[in-house]
Amino acid sequence: MSTKSDQGQIALLQGTLDLLILRTLRLGPAHGHAIVKAIESGSDDVLLVEQGSLYPALHRLIERGWITFDEGTSENNRRAKFYRLTAKGRKQLDIETSRWEKLSGAIARILRPAPQE
Amino acid sequence: MRRKLFGGAWRRRALHGLDEEIRAHLEQEVEVNIARGMSVEEARRQARIAFGSISLVHEDSRAAWRWSWQEHVRQDVRYALRTLRKSPSFAAVALLALSLGIGANTAIFTLIDALLLRSLPVPSAGQLLQISMTPGDARESQLSDSLSYPVVRALADQRDVFDGVGGFSTFTFDAGPPDNVRRTQGAFVTGAFFDAMGLVPAAGRLLTTDDDRIDAPLVAVITDGYWERAFARDPRIIGQPYRVNGRAVSIVGVSPPGFTGAHVGWVADITLPVSSVVQVRPELSSLLGPGNIWLRVLARPRAGVSEDQVAAALALRWPELSQAAIAPTFTAERRTGIRNARFAFRPGTTGWTNLRDLFRRPLYVLMTLVGLVMLIACANVAGLLLARGAARQKEIAVRLALGAGRGRLVRQLFTESLILSLGSAVLGICVAQFLSRYLVDVLATGPLTVTFDLTATSHVLAFTVALSLATTVLFGLVPAWKATARGPVDALKTVRGIAPRGRLLPSVVTAQVALCLVLLVGAGLFIQTLRNLQARKTGFEHQGVLLIDVAGQRPRSFYRDALDIVRRLPGVMSASVSTNTPLSGAGWSEKVTIDGVTQERELSFLAVSAQYFQTLQTPILRGRDFAETDEWSLARVAIVNETFARRYFPQTDPIGRHFSASVATPSVDLEIVGIVSDVIGNNLRAAPPATVYVPYFQVQVMSQNFSSLQVRVDGPSEPLANAIRRELQLRMPEAPVEIRSLTAQVDSASVPERLVTSLSTGLGVVALVLAAIGLYGLLTYSVATRTREIGIRVALGANRLGVIALVLRQGARLALAGIAIGIVVAAALSRFIAGMLFGLTPLDPATFVGVSVLLATIALLASGIPARRATRVDPLLSIRAE
Repeated sequence: MSTKSDQGQIALLQGTLDLLILRTLRLGPAHGHAIVKAIESGSDDVLLVEQGSLYPALHRLIERGWITFDEGTSENNRRAKFYRLTAKGRKQLDIETSRWEKLSGAIARILRPAPQE
Repeated sequence: MRRKLFGGAWRRRALHGLDEEIRAHLEQEVEVNIARGMSVEEARRQARIAFGSISLVHEDSRAAWRWSWQEHVRQDVRYALRTLRKSPSFAAVALLALSLGIGANTAIFTLIDALLLRSLPVPSAGQLLQISMTPGDARESQLSDSLSYPVVRALADQRDVFDGVGGFSTFTFDAGPPDNVRRTQGAFVTGAFFDAMGLVPAAGRLLTTDDDRIDAPLVAVITDGYWERAFARDPRIIGQPYRVNGRAVSIVGVSPPGFTGAHVGWVADITLPVSSVVQVRPELSSLLGPGNIWLRVLARPRAGVSEDQVAAALALRWPELSQAAIAPTFTAERRTGIRNARFAFRPGTTGWTNLRDLFRRPLYVLMTLVGLVMLIACANVAGLLLARGAARQKEIAVRLALGAGRGRLVRQLFTESLILSLGSAVLGICVAQFLSRYLVDVLATGPLTVTFDLTATSHVLAFTVALSLATTVLFGLVPAWKATARGPVDALKTVRGIAPRGRLLPSVVTAQVALCLVLLVGAGLFIQTLRNLQARKTGFEHQGVLLIDVAGQRPRSFYRDALDIVRRLPGVMSASVSTNTPLSGAGWSEKVTIDGVTQERELSFLAVSAQYFQTLQTPILRGRDFAETDEWSLARVAIVNETFARRYFPQTDPIGRHFSASVATPSVDLEIVGIVSDVIGNNLRAAPPATVYVPYFQVQVMSQNFSSLQVRVDGPSEPLANAIRRELQLRMPEAPVEIRSLTAQVDSASVPERLVTSLSTGLGVVALVLAAIGLYGLLTYSVATRTREIGIRVALGANRLGVIALVLRQGARLALAGIAIGIVVAAALSRFIAGMLFGLTPLDPATFVGVSVLLATIALLASGIPARRATRVDPLLSIRAE
């Protein structure tokens, strides 16, 4: 996933997809396509998810026990998995969020140094 | 948690339907795109672009799952099973060797556990003390395991020292409804017995001190097992009368499941209080007096009272208590002996049994032998694995070169060993079941009917598992380590045809041969011992003699009538009645006075009727047999055996001489009318004791209450036994007529010897087969790895014989080294079994030579096949092969 600039869209940084999935699922269970759409629309279509990469990420999160799934039927009557956050995932989301805030704050400070006193 | 435990299943569920999920995703994206105004074609294209590579998604999703250890194990197991299936003969031999080893060890250990180690199934069995006595009599320093009834009661009264003191003795009752009287194992116990055991009844109540009074109503407690078998657990039988020895006895309760009495191996189904002996066996009433020492004692000291305190308290009180142990008739000497007696204490945790003394040594010897078999099995399998490991070095080298982790490889080989040993453990348990049953069957032919709970207990199982695990480590890791110790480059370079000269493999084979020789020497010594015992001149002919148990107090007329009835039956050649028979285990002995001198040693006495010597075919050497007329005559006569005659009348003819004995009090004068051949007493190994025979109907002695009839039959004994049973049952309706053969009685005297001999022979054969396989395997492997060398030798002009000699020499070197080591070890060990041998020394040259020759022959045969194979090596092919 290299950063590319196409209609002002930004491809995701490594590792941030996990955080975004967890954040999205915080609102409630969703199936794969809905998650992608939620991330895209949530970022006003600035963030571009390579849609296929969502699935390995989901499996990674299941394996770690942060999310789990229920089997159900999608809007178009296909068998689909509805993913949702586990208690462990909720905790992880808090950790990841604060870590992200620290990171982005630090980067922001470097890019735009505060005025000297 | 669930995820960790069911990792594989969870992953399968998560990945299942990924295809459909992706298809659904794409369709939704297409719909979204169409809604944005794209053409269907374009919408599809964009959706595919946005999604990326589907196959990559599949792969990455799968890769997202870390492999759990269970999956690694499953993979290892599957791989190991596949490789084992590819070499079925290796797997079969290894499984067979180990399972025989494990099974034999478990079976013997189960028996040792049941007999020697297992605690009585009572609460806090560890607190129980076994009380015995050392008589103060200076001449007899021997410990008496039994105490008299008055002493046990006196001990039970020391409530400040003991919570309970129980005395018990095994007994056989005739129990059941009149139409189905059966001989039933039971026990007499003192009133405080169940209290001392601390048991809670399964139903009703247990016996108390109130039941153990002469005037108390007759009551009995039965075991849970008997309740089940005889009454189908009917609760209504509690309080109901039951017939025991022809008397009505109320069953008051059932002892808890698992408890079958304090005498290990003897299931006491019916337990009566000691004082009821007066009613159920009136002729044995004297058992309640101080003169009979017959009760084993288990005591439970009060909490906080130590063994030393118990000993101190009893020593202090004994002068007073000992009054109860003395009867007015006792001699001054005996009184002093009792007053000076001291108590001795031993842990009573495991109960009591005389089987322990009888079988402790045989069992430990067998444990050693099966231990040797286990070692041989391990060495055998280790050898097989070493050879296999060497043969697989190429495969392993390739896998190492392809990047397999060394740890992983070792683990995989370890898994293979683990599967072998666990599989063997399972098979071994089956072998153990089979063998235990055989052991119990052999024991059942012994002097006592014994019953053991042989269900595998937790420590037997733990023992097996530990054994199989130890085995795994022993043989699993060495080859695994060796196989990977050399780097992949080195291993790949190994040229097939030139054997790596390891020293481990040959020494493993040598060790097998050595261990096998030790085992075979043991087996040989035992076989010879049994043969010597069976070849002993017993002084009687046991074939064709039936013994009919007519124990109990009966009028004289009963025996006369019984003999008349039996003698009239067709097929009966002769019949007699006697107080005792050879090797019956019972006896009657007393002192005699010859020429006014009372002899130091007590002599063996038997009261026998006319035809006794004829029935047992004991030759009368001089003088005459007892005649019917002796029975009515007032002249008291006796027949003595050779040993008696030789010892007491060395110079003169004993016929017509007199001596006196207290056959009846006061002493009577006996005239010797005949001399018979020596007959073995109760000990198969001991010299025949000096014996005196007196006419059965002339005397009145206690032993007559344990009489049996002897019948010599012509032809098949089974129909005649039935006829005798039918006739006699009418005369003794209160007891079942028990008929045995004298042969069975003779056989039962050598049960420990037969047990050890048959097992050590069986184990010896197993060891021999394993050692042969070990040697064969090594040589086959060696020939396979030396084809190139052999090929060169043949090309250079070696002939067939030379090649055969090459292989045989290698086999002979290993076998002879093993035999030499084995002889040294066997010679060092065999003195430990010296006490169990008969008629030969532990270093018996014939056995040592015979076994060595046998082993050498087998080794030669085992080397023959690989040697022949070596001659078929084609020099051209083998040299060109690489």
